Amino acid sequence: MSTFQIHYFASASTYTGRNTESLPAPLPLSSLFDTLEAKYPGIKEKVLSSCSISLGDEYVDLVSDGEKSGNEGLLIQGGDEVAIIPPVSSG
Amino acid sequence: MSARPEPQPGSERNATEPLPSHLDPTTYPRTLTTTHGPTSIPLHLELTYHTLSPTTALQHVSSPSSGANILFLGTTRDTFDDRPVARLSYTSYPALALKSLHKISSEAVEKFGLNGVYIAHRLGEVPVGEASIVVAVGAGHRGEAWRGAEWVLEVVKERVEVWKREEFVDGGMEWRENRERDGFGKLKTKKEDSR
Repeated sequence: MSTFQIHYFASASTYTGRNTESLPAPLPLSSLFDTLEAKYPGIKEKVLSSCSISLGDEYVDLVSDGEKSGNEGLLIQGGDEVAIIPPVSSG
Repeated sequence: MSARPEPQPGSERNATEPLPSHLDPTTYPRTLTTTHGPTSIPLHLELTYHTLSPTTALQHVSSPSSGANILFLGTTRDTFDDRPVARLSYTSYPALALKSLHKISSEAVEKFGLNGVYIAHRLGEVPVGEASIVVAVGAGHRGEAWRGAEWVLEVVKERVEVWKREEFVDGGMEWRENRERDGFGKLKTKKEDSR
């Protein structure tokens, strides 16, 4: 089965207890949060609501990229790299 | 200081999982050295587990056309809101962080007419009092140099994909969020993250 890699940072890594994992692909981008919520109950409200999402080295928007009208929206493909990006704290 | 593997957030519960390369200190430093624009303004951007060097930063931005050179060092504090900090560490996602640093430095060159930009961020545990970030810029005159350096730092703190984790003497742990504080350490009024 094909998989994609998802990386968790900061509050997302603490909540999931991991830095990274493989999830089954393909997965519609619009289903990502529900998939994570099923695995990590409560994560949507406590963590994901303040996070951005990247696919490869680009940010994606769950609404505009995830549910393009007229088709099923962006699909996360096997081999893709996705990351959950919480509010940053460099410096 | 030599890079050494150290426990990463979350890894304690999944010791069998291989460390992704972006959390493996042996894959650092990650640097992007390039130039911007027709006059080839030098940009040097770096994520490293090593001690930061102010001298190196200034050397990278020195230019015969510069009359003003600004160096900023951000050093780690031993308290957060009077709560004693035992240790603090940084992690990054270089795929995005270097891209953001490149965008910010290029934009700063255009906005302030800078002759060079150097930004380095340290990762892993940073002992209290040591530099976690160094920003250096050079410009023809002090006005654009001061303003350019300040702008670079503010935007880096707002956008670059680096996270600070503070472990407190009382045993607590927190991931810091820059959006909560202004440049004076004061709490900002709560508003939706617009990023």
